[in-house]
Amino acid sequence: MLLRSVDDSQINTVFPNTFEEYKKWDKEKDELPPEEVYKALFQELAYGEKVQVGRALTRMNYSKSGWKSLIKKTSRAIKKVVKKDEFPDSYKEFFIETNEKWADPTYWYAMGQMVNNQTSIYYWNAIDRTFDQELNVVQQEEDRRVYVQTWLKTLKVSIYVTLFCLILGFPVAHLLANLPLRYSNLLMIFVLLPFWTSLLVRTTAWIVMLQQKGVINGVLVWLGILSDDGRIAMVYNETGTLIAMTQILLPFMILPLYSVMRVIPKSHMRAAQNLGAKPVMAFWRVYLPQTIPGMSAGGLLVFVLAIGYFITPELVGGKDGKLIGSWIAYHLKTTLNWGLTAALGAILLGFMLIFYWLYNKIVGIDNIKLG
Amino acid sequence: MSKLIKAFLFASIICAPFAASAVTVASWGGAYTESQQKAYADTYSDPGSIVFENYNGGLGEVRAQVESGSVTWDLVDVLPGDAITGCDEGLFEDISSEIASMGVPGPDGESIAEDMENNGLEYHSGWDCCVPQIFWTYVVFYDPDAFPGEKPDSMADFFDVEKFPGKRGIHTWATGIIEKAMVADGVEPNAVPTVLEKQTGALDRAFAKLDTIKDHVVFWSSGSKPLELVKSGEVVMAIAYNGRVGAANLAEGENFEYIWEGQVLDQEYLCLTAGAPNRDAALDFMMHASSPESQAEQAKYITYGPMRASGIPIIVNGEPWGPGGVDIMPHMPNTPERLAVSIVSDPQWWSDNGAEIDERYAAWMGN
Repeated sequence: MLLRSVDDSQINTVFPNTFEEYKKWDKEKDELPPEEVYKALFQELAYGEKVQVGRALTRMNYSKSGWKSLIKKTSRAIKKVVKKDEFPDSYKEFFIETNEKWADPTYWYAMGQMVNNQTSIYYWNAIDRTFDQELNVVQQEEDRRVYVQTWLKTLKVSIYVTLFCLILGFPVAHLLANLPLRYSNLLMIFVLLPFWTSLLVRTTAWIVMLQQKGVINGVLVWLGILSDDGRIAMVYNETGTLIAMTQILLPFMILPLYSVMRVIPKSHMRAAQNLGAKPVMAFWRVYLPQTIPGMSAGGLLVFVLAIGYFITPELVGGKDGKLIGSWIAYHLKTTLNWGLTAALGAILLGFMLIFYWLYNKIVGIDNIKLG
Repeated sequence: MSKLIKAFLFASIICAPFAASAVTVASWGGAYTESQQKAYADTYSDPGSIVFENYNGGLGEVRAQVESGSVTWDLVDVLPGDAITGCDEGLFEDISSEIASMGVPGPDGESIAEDMENNGLEYHSGWDCCVPQIFWTYVVFYDPDAFPGEKPDSMADFFDVEKFPGKRGIHTWATGIIEKAMVADGVEPNAVPTVLEKQTGALDRAFAKLDTIKDHVVFWSSGSKPLELVKSGEVVMAIAYNGRVGAANLAEGENFEYIWEGQVLDQEYLCLTAGAPNRDAALDFMMHASSPESQAEQAKYITYGPMRASGIPIIVNGEPWGPGGVDIMPHMPNTPERLAVSIVSDPQWWSDNGAEIDERYAAWMGN
């Protein structure tokens, strides 16, 4: 699948002669490609296998919207000509007569993206860049730039969620590890029950809680803290995404932390205090360092899960709900642009590896512990 | 031991024909698949041979199945854009000659294709691999209680937050909304697809119109959401799939009003997967499912209209056709008066431009 992010060979097996002739086109000298290009395309459309051409069309449409129906309309005209055996004198004129878009050089420029068996275009597309006619990397049209902002948003949300999980999970895990068994078992059930509950149910529950006419706003208005017009928008925006994702991923932080904290001997803290450390100092110097393996394991788990999340953000995120996972699903299923899908996935994997490497540098990978 | 083996072999002989002849249909699930089960499968000569499976749309799984050579879905229920792409790419089998020879003709002998053309549709390559199902629409609806005085009744009202204050619920992808924005901007509904295709800057117009409600919008991404949003008062009006609104009105006792002007009709197809394991049985079922009678039958269970023109008179003459003896036509999207103020979405244009417009729409949404 990763190979698809650089592979462009399918279309090259469909239009080999066209692309060969295309490479000879001097864009400085002639506004439109030479007659030979049109002739080769004519023949490859006339005698090409329908399904292979169809697959190539899907590919061509990624480089410029409109290729699909342009080629289909032209193909029909070509088939008629071939049937009647009335081949045109000038293929160029025939194409332009069939559809004036063939006189529009931007279509031909877009073809330049595909003439090699390998391509880096999908990776550039994944960060809002594209090729100009000379195959230089340029910015995507301004109103289509959407991926860079999504990448940043995805990273931001994942980092925030990981931090919130750590802040909320640490005291809970500490409590779980230090309470007498009968209380901690009860508490543990409170952690695990939501963990076992369907993701969609929990997401929907948050919507009920947070929406403008929902439970929290309702109570605040009833108590007179908010006015009826001053209800806070807590869901269908980034706040909602952060709240819901934090709650859903919290157990992945608590459980590794708990299992590490459970085996830290209580005598360590007492020994530190006996030796004259104040409680804060004892916690900071003695207890906290021993929980690092748990924090790292939980942090990595939550971060890895958060960065690929997309169902919860789509449901509660409103306009801010499209994270990179949504785009991967979109291109996998809707546009069938698997090259871009693979490129987005590869970049995501790259991010993970960078974080893993950073983590290894800073904390050390031997320091990870799930229990 | 040998007895056990014999029994096992025997059992496999008995079971094998059943397993092999079950036609698997991938569809969207929920009330929609239920209506297909009742209207197509239960009325079929061998109802037990049809099995429905849920999927979330798109051609991702179909392409994976066809490319890996392990096809498990015989038929797939798809949107028109996917019908076109799937047929062009050979993910669906070209059965145009079978559809012409085996398709159930209309009362005056119309072929399936002619019947669809009578309904105002134009040929696209999806017709070579797929048979028609239903029209569904993106329609605006509201709770009349939210507007004690004047009630909104046009796209211009939907986009006018001064005249009708309150939030609007709209979906997170571009299809349907772009067309509605054009209508609100003064384009005749029937002319919208042509204007979008031919006029330069038409999209900029649509996005400029969308800008006017941007601060008053709640975005939804799953079909049940707009109903929850309107019911809970989170928004005052929302775009929804008309079948969901119809179900709420008919089965849940809601009293939602529609704004039919500017509704965007979209098509739905049943397509034969290339290399389907039960090809012939599936083909036979397709022909049954696309008969005018089956299409009319479906309207009993969900308010989606037949794509074959000859299905409509069956409903009209059969009223009360709806559940519990109600007339169903008042809830249907494709009556002549409503079609006159509707947009029939152009699947070929969306297939060409959808990815680019969705990106632009997402950029608009996120900024």
